[in-house]
Amino acid sequence: MSRNLWLNLSIALVLILIAAFAGRLHKWNWHRAAQQTSHTSRSNEATATDPGSEESDSSKTEILVRFRAGVSAQAIENITSRFNDEVEDHIEAVDGLDVIEDEDNRSADEVAAQYRALAEVEYAETNSEIKLDHEGAGKHLHANDELFFKQWGLFNHGQDGGKSGADISAMQAWAVTKGSDQVVVAVLDSGVDYTHPDLAGNIWTRPEIIKQYEDSDLTSEGPIDDMHGFNVVEDNGDPMDDNGHGTHCAGIIGAEGGNEVGIAGVNWTVKIMPLKFMDSDGAGTTKDAIEAINYVINRKRAGVNVRVISASWGSTTKSRALEDVIRKAGDEGILIVAAAGNDHSDNDAKPHYPASYDLNNVISVAAVNRNDELTTFSNFGATSVDVAAPGEQIISTWLQHGFEEKQGTSMATPFVAGVAALVLSTNPGISIDELRLRLLNSVDAVPSLNGKVATGGRINAAKAVAGG
Amino acid sequence: MSSIDIAIVVKARADLAERLGVSENEIAEGHIDQTDFPDASLGAPVADEMSAQMITPGWRIRLRAGDNTYEYRATARQLRLVNFKGRNYRI
Repeated sequence: MSRNLWLNLSIALVLILIAAFAGRLHKWNWHRAAQQTSHTSRSNEATATDPGSEESDSSKTEILVRFRAGVSAQAIENITSRFNDEVEDHIEAVDGLDVIEDEDNRSADEVAAQYRALAEVEYAETNSEIKLDHEGAGKHLHANDELFFKQWGLFNHGQDGGKSGADISAMQAWAVTKGSDQVVVAVLDSGVDYTHPDLAGNIWTRPEIIKQYEDSDLTSEGPIDDMHGFNVVEDNGDPMDDNGHGTHCAGIIGAEGGNEVGIAGVNWTVKIMPLKFMDSDGAGTTKDAIEAINYVINRKRAGVNVRVISASWGSTTKSRALEDVIRKAGDEGILIVAAAGNDHSDNDAKPHYPASYDLNNVISVAAVNRNDELTTFSNFGATSVDVAAPGEQIISTWLQHGFEEKQGTSMATPFVAGVAALVLSTNPGISIDELRLRLLNSVDAVPSLNGKVATGGRINAAKAVAGG
Repeated sequence: MSSIDIAIVVKARADLAERLGVSENEIAEGHIDQTDFPDASLGAPVADEMSAQMITPGWRIRLRAGDNTYEYRATARQLRLVNFKGRNYRI
């Protein structure tokens, strides 16, 4: 009896130890899997510099699913079990957002479609575009676009002498959203080369149900066929860029991501509405700027979901008419993101418009370099400039289907406009006040910006999409 | 950036001569410097002008007439006269 008792106790002890070890192993594996879904966090330094470190199991399909508010953890568990999938990670920053791993070798599109069909699901998207690169400087989670690593503003791992982490945390934001073709951003500029191979798929096209633009004061030839936007310089519907500046800004906002071509925009998917009010020299009149904003308001009222105007231009001359039309745009739910200017002067003392209009739908943007320093050219303003963004050595789309590196608060502005579009992609009903506040609350505090911009920081897309 | 096209300097001289009502022979070339301007208006906006806020490489051309010096700013695409009798001009 006593011998049997000791035998039983010994067997029980061995079983407990095995179970405990198995549990630890499972837990370790879970953590490992969670680390491998590091699309939710910056590729860490060890990963970036150690080509021998662990690799993600790229053979498994992962998708991102956001369940609707009120769907319980048990209900999610039941759904994934039914599909023979597993919840691999919860994205804590976003309620209901989970990384789902498929266990039976189906394609990402197939799995995502299965989830999209459910009433419990707000959205489901594939994660296949973000993948590991085993070439070059090591392994990073990134878009596969050819020039992606040149775009330090999206992902700064210290390339070309920059400071690691001095970027807008785009990849973390992309784990939540890579944009939406339901969000329209007006690029009010020198036009946009809407045929550029890295932009063409993200150019807005007027839906047939929306009538052509009519403004009898501009032209007596009837409606303007604004298929892709509006050209105020020539009062026609062809906003083709003949300067390059507008095309560059458009690429920062929304060059197609994951297409192995050129760069990725802040938004992989978005609709760019090209507007031309500046000529081939990059200069335009206040009146034409007003006409273009009037066009945007008209299109918004007609049903186009245009919520952001990117304005990489300006002057020190104040126009009350321009201020009024911008205020009106705000009444229509349209945010204006504007360049602070490049004179390295204090906008608090010498304002630069439209950035310096004290309106609740205007965000004024300064420029930082790849070391998180205010650039030598950027204007600043402790009260009148809101936020900074990458604006030096910025590569983007250019004329003749090319890519060029440029600098200016012109380049910083579309980074912020792009982040605004990302936020709108998951929060289509957000008000302009809320959107502006969210962007300004979503900065990384940067010492060099203390006392130079009102927020004291550089825009952070991940924080913005997570709610500020 | 490539060197300045001599045609731009010729154009600037002709413009200044016309404005001053003198012969082009009376216009002397001063320094020509390559520089970065703060925007597409080359830092010399004309009235009611909005310009792209992109750093723009170009040239600063100084011309002399009598005891006075005049400044033009140029890129391969445009030429501007700076602060001539208190105003800027796109040529």
